[in-house]
Amino acid sequence: MQQFVDQLIQQGYFPGVPSQIVYALAMLLAAFVVLSVFVAPLAGVTSWLERRVWARMQSRVGPNRVGPQGILQWIADGIKNLLKEDIIPTAADKVLFPLAPYVVFVGFLCAFVVIPFGGSLIVADLNIGILYLLAVTSIVVVGILMAGWASNNKWSLLGGMRSAAQIVSYEIPAGLAVLTIVFVAGTMSTQGIIQAQGWAPWDWFFFYSPFTFVAFFLYFTAALAEGNRTPFDIPEAESELVAGYVTEYSGMRFLFFFFAEWGNLYIIGAVATILFLGGWQVPAIPWVTEQPVLKGILQFVVFFIKAYLWVFVSMWVRATLPRVRVDQLMALCWKYMVPLSFVCVVGTAAWMVVWPHGNRWASIAMFVIGVIILGVFGKRVGFQIRHSRPTLYLKPYI
Amino acid sequence: MKALAAYVGNIFETVTTIFEGMSITLSHLVRRPMTVQYPDRIDKPVQETLPLRYRGILEVDMDICTGCLACERVCPITCITIGIDMNKETKQRSFSHFDIDICKCMYCGLCAEICPTGSIRHSQEFEGASYNPAGLVRHFVTKPVSLYKPKKGGETDPTMAKKAEIGQKYLDEFATPEGPGGAGAGEG
Amino acid sequence: MSEAAAPQSEVFHTEDMTINVGPQHPSTHGVLRFVVRTDGEVIKDAIPDVGYLHRSIEKIGEKCTWHGYVPYTDRADYLAAMFANQGFCMAAEKLGSTEVTRRGEFCRVIACELNRLASHLISIGTFGQDIGAVTPFLHALRERETINDLMEEICGARLTYNYIRIGGVGYDITSETCGKITAFLDHFEPIMDEYNRLLSYNKIYIERLVNVAAITKEEAFQYNLVGPNLRACGVKWDIRRDIPYSVYPELDFEIPVGNGEKGTLGDCYDRYWVRIRELEESCKILRQALKMIPKGPAISKVPRKFKPPAGEAYVRVEAPRGDMGFYVVSDGSEYPYRVRIRTGSFTAMAIIDKLSRGIMVADLIALIASLDVDAPEIDR
Repeated sequence: MQQFVDQLIQQGYFPGVPSQIVYALAMLLAAFVVLSVFVAPLAGVTSWLERRVWARMQSRVGPNRVGPQGILQWIADGIKNLLKEDIIPTAADKVLFPLAPYVVFVGFLCAFVVIPFGGSLIVADLNIGILYLLAVTSIVVVGILMAGWASNNKWSLLGGMRSAAQIVSYEIPAGLAVLTIVFVAGTMSTQGIIQAQGWAPWDWFFFYSPFTFVAFFLYFTAALAEGNRTPFDIPEAESELVAGYVTEYSGMRFLFFFFAEWGNLYIIGAVATILFLGGWQVPAIPWVTEQPVLKGILQFVVFFIKAYLWVFVSMWVRATLPRVRVDQLMALCWKYMVPLSFVCVVGTAAWMVVWPHGNRWASIAMFVIGVIILGVFGKRVGFQIRHSRPTLYLKPYI
Repeated sequence: MKALAAYVGNIFETVTTIFEGMSITLSHLVRRPMTVQYPDRIDKPVQETLPLRYRGILEVDMDICTGCLACERVCPITCITIGIDMNKETKQRSFSHFDIDICKCMYCGLCAEICPTGSIRHSQEFEGASYNPAGLVRHFVTKPVSLYKPKKGGETDPTMAKKAEIGQKYLDEFATPEGPGGAGAGEG
Repeated sequence: MSEAAAPQSEVFHTEDMTINVGPQHPSTHGVLRFVVRTDGEVIKDAIPDVGYLHRSIEKIGEKCTWHGYVPYTDRADYLAAMFANQGFCMAAEKLGSTEVTRRGEFCRVIACELNRLASHLISIGTFGQDIGAVTPFLHALRERETINDLMEEICGARLTYNYIRIGGVGYDITSETCGKITAFLDHFEPIMDEYNRLLSYNKIYIERLVNVAAITKEEAFQYNLVGPNLRACGVKWDIRRDIPYSVYPELDFEIPVGNGEKGTLGDCYDRYWVRIRELEESCKILRQALKMIPKGPAISKVPRKFKPPAGEAYVRVEAPRGDMGFYVVSDGSEYPYRVRIRTGSFTAMAIIDKLSRGIMVADLIALIASLDVDAPEIDR
């Protein structure tokens, strides 16, 4: 990005304009492009897909009327929300209440700075990328707390408090799980971590050692908790707290909260892909590597599919699990996940002492174990189908 | 040691039950949804798929109504109002109005059961929405209709016979417990 | 769960928070209101406020004929209308010494047990929903939809049946419908198995319910709990067996009681689990009743102007929410002199205040769901 702008300046496209202003404008333009071309449709389509996937898991159909198979539902919902009255309760804090959705939104959007879209497509390859990511996503909790407090509603306040406690606690296992990969990769740059892995599954950090294998699940669970997703959606638990911190919001501000929530799902998946699943690595086949455009596209597709798989998994988890209670949430974090993540960190360190360059056979063995688990799972799915309501409907649409 | 076993057991149980639950939800992705996409995306109208006993909006066949007022009397909610005029010259009695307020009607089916000719009956229709409450009052008498008198030895007029037959069939199949499939047709 | 309040300093003191749960709240199962006083997440007390759904059904009974009141009893508990039908009709039959035909009794049992399935499915489905699992709720409703279709075939309505009449049932169950019910049961039993594996055995779900708001036997007696709530405390009391009515004595079924297998006896999980097992028992009863159903008329001859001799009758039926009692007084006229309905949900409301002390807000939701209170039945 920076090189590109530098080139433009050198070629004399902006005579007499200070370079800082050009940089700032270029950044704004990049942010706009990322937001409007990628993030907004992504969050929107995710919201639609979640409803469709959910519906099918519940023997329903889901939204299928707006556009082909209802894929434009998110635009209809967005327009409807934009046209709604923007209600600010009389008792609400007049400054913080309108501000809170934007804080949440900023926290989520800033994460896209270090998330690559491909081998060369990244807004900024910071050398502290992962650290930046952890820091920036924590801004969200400030926004949620603001929303909870400023609404001047007891349900909102309870939701905000729960969210604060939850996100602060789950930063620790998430951070420790990330730390294991930082150990192995020896860098915090997101591109650097991806380059330290290969395209083949056994070259991924996911299968690097049993400890990183566990660390992946710890990271994913903690990320779900940070993203306020079921089974950790206690801040907005609709059957307990009505809607938690979003109870008093309406119209566009309400939209922003959910924009952030669904966009955040992609960030969870993308970070998991960067850290554990080999990012955008594609096989070094000559006819691919020789063509930069094709390679770029392929890398984007590979990365997107891997990241979106975890978006799907989080929808799936949400459709399956009940919600935990506040004290159980804390117990899960401090009694189970934090000790386990420490074990992972120490184990990975020990592993690296024994095999400084990794143990290829262990990786392959872990990969085989992973495949076996998937196989058992598939078999179980087959059993469920045969066991009850065996009428199949294989068409993904209706 | 026991505590450790419980600790590991907890983790194991959580993971396996979540694993099981997720396999069930995933398997439902390929099973048939149950939704009936009601107004348009169905093979045939819902009204046609409803069972015979379905208690929809009441309809009255004025041609075979005897004006016995049994339905008006039995209705627990008095949603049926019947008016009968007598022509002083011809001594002919005729309906001045026969209104059913489906706003009030609770579809209990008592009127349909008590009707001797099967003139008042529940249809399969249920889409009764209207823009104002007055639109929900069904008027069955638009011009004065004279009362029906069942003839001894069966109906002779073919159109009337058809109507009477429909009413009787309705009574047989729906309104009496002794209808076909009723007494003695049971067992498994 | 609750710990002794920390000593409060002079400068930094905390205040109780008063929250209104309801009347419009996603998990109050109708319109209920609880005035909850909490210290953060921990509840100090929760006072139920009922009456938002009062329709004076009992008073209406004095203005209707005996036959005409039956459709109104549907509305007393619209999730289990069949039982209110049966309760009132049994009371009227007792007053008028009316015989019920044998086939009528079996039709009643079949319809009632189907209705019990539907009602319990709602109960366990919304239970999952309140705990946060949305999929099981819709799976339960999906099965209930089939039951509603069967009900539609049997009596023409999906919710307010008006099926059971004085002297028998309104419409006979045809052999075709009997076959459909059997086919449904064959389909339903594996579904319940799957439902258990999806929700009931889920560790998170179990953890949410065990040891929450446990009711002891003594408390259950003191607060006059009935039905599954009472049986979850380990008391084997079921009107169908202990004060037999209809043809239940001829049928072979078990009465599931709570045994505290996951936690304490009488906790939320026990109340949930008793209902799951009652579903299985209902399936068993249905299969037997479908086999045993005799030939004959479905309703006995009852005069159109039903005028029972003056007197009073109290009849109890085992509804899904427990003992439903009908106290009916006749003065010999065409209209009941007084109708009084005693319902299980109403008494269950009283214990909420006691149990809610010291539990968390999320547990209160689980407690309300586990008692399976139903707003129309509370207020009538």
